[in-house]
Amino acid sequence: MARLKSVWVYHVDAGSCNGCDIEVLDVLSPYYDIERLGVKVVPNPRHADVLFITGPLTRQTRIALKKAYEAMPPKPRIVVAIGTCASSGGIFYNSYALYNTSPQRGRDRLRSGGPEMIVPIDMYIPGCPPSPEEILYGVAQLLGIKEKKMKGEYWIALPPAEEPSKENEIKFRIPDRPIPLRYWLTLREELRRVVGYYDRDAVLNDFIELVGRAYNEAPDNPQEKLHDLITGYALREKDSRINVAMRFLENEFWRLVKEYREWGEALKEKYPVTAGV
Amino acid sequence: MAEAPAYSERLKKWDRFEVEKFSKKAPVTTPYPFIDIEKPPEYRGIPHINPEKCIGCGACVNACPPDALIMEWDKEHGVKRLTYNAARCIRCARCIEVCPTGAMEPTTRFEIATDNKEDLVEVVEHKLAYCEECGEYLDFTERQIEYVRNILPKEIFDAYALEDRIKLTQEEKMRRTVVKLRETEGNVYPAFMLVRETKDEEGGEE
Repeated sequence: MARLKSVWVYHVDAGSCNGCDIEVLDVLSPYYDIERLGVKVVPNPRHADVLFITGPLTRQTRIALKKAYEAMPPKPRIVVAIGTCASSGGIFYNSYALYNTSPQRGRDRLRSGGPEMIVPIDMYIPGCPPSPEEILYGVAQLLGIKEKKMKGEYWIALPPAEEPSKENEIKFRIPDRPIPLRYWLTLREELRRVVGYYDRDAVLNDFIELVGRAYNEAPDNPQEKLHDLITGYALREKDSRINVAMRFLENEFWRLVKEYREWGEALKEKYPVTAGV
Repeated sequence: MAEAPAYSERLKKWDRFEVEKFSKKAPVTTPYPFIDIEKPPEYRGIPHINPEKCIGCGACVNACPPDALIMEWDKEHGVKRLTYNAARCIRCARCIEVCPTGAMEPTTRFEIATDNKEDLVEVVEHKLAYCEECGEYLDFTERQIEYVRNILPKEIFDAYALEDRIKLTQEEKMRRTVVKLRETEGNVYPAFMLVRETKDEEGGEE
């Protein structure tokens, strides 16, 4: 693509939910200020070099988009798809209201769908909605300021015993943790009720560390030691959500320990003979 | 032992770049496309599949609302491929929530605009487990079996004689159960406990 200088942009809404439209407005605001890159939004496709499309291409907007594309001057006629919907049909990809002629109805590996059904697209900016930086990056890449950073990846996940021989073959590894895997899994699922996915892993890692320390430093009475450690953690931590989550984890952990022990004894009582072993 | 900083303190490590770059006063407009920046740690970028931890269970495929994650089945060759396409992803992080191994990792990656959709595809190919009795591939991978071995305690494996049956297809398991039921009619112990054909320990039960 030849290096572009000052591009004039016409913005088409092909059935978007207006999230991406608002982000396009944001990049025109003084903080992001896309106009310093020479981008100007024009009210007529006949003046435009670049078409910004938002939305998943509904049946109603298909003709309008086609007309806007054909009204643009034949050169350079660049199309930028802004948002997940415009890149692939997004969450609406198999809706009855969309115009999608791809053979597998958008379930192929490239996830075809959206405006690429009727117009060729030069720049995909996925995001739901893309943040203003993402749009800035896409436009900067179009203008030759930034380089492309994404690359397709193909991994071969090897079975547990095998060793990798090629570069994209990856060996299986379960991370080492001071508590058994079933405790970790159960605690993780229980913690979903208290904190979100982002804090969850960090809080659980902190808790596991404390459990490991408690069992190392006081093997006779880990319960009291863990209580002390978590109290110390709570004194340093100002965020009350994290403190609540840590207390919750402590209660759950000891409940689990007790429950698994009882289950084990019940199992031995129920099946005193382990047959076939 | 030095105490690690508190969790909420660690979150505050990210500063807006203007604060470091400019000593007095930052300009209104961001210098972004001409410099490199980082997003805050809690920013929802595209997720990334860690092929070291992924077991190919497909929990993320069930959870994904826009089908950005799809499992491609190829039972003839004994593989299934977990395909992820960032062009369809809406960053809801449901896959990260449901992943049982933590293989789905959140990233703060935001520079993903591209002119070719092939760049957005991520594929992890898994080998399916093989049933020696029927000569068929199973629905699950060998990594899944290994993960189950790590989850369940040894006593459960012993009590239910799981080690013998873990690599069998459903039909084979049902067939064996029926055979055992016929053999052990009138026995007090349930049939699933009597799968392996070692007669020496079962002698007392008859």
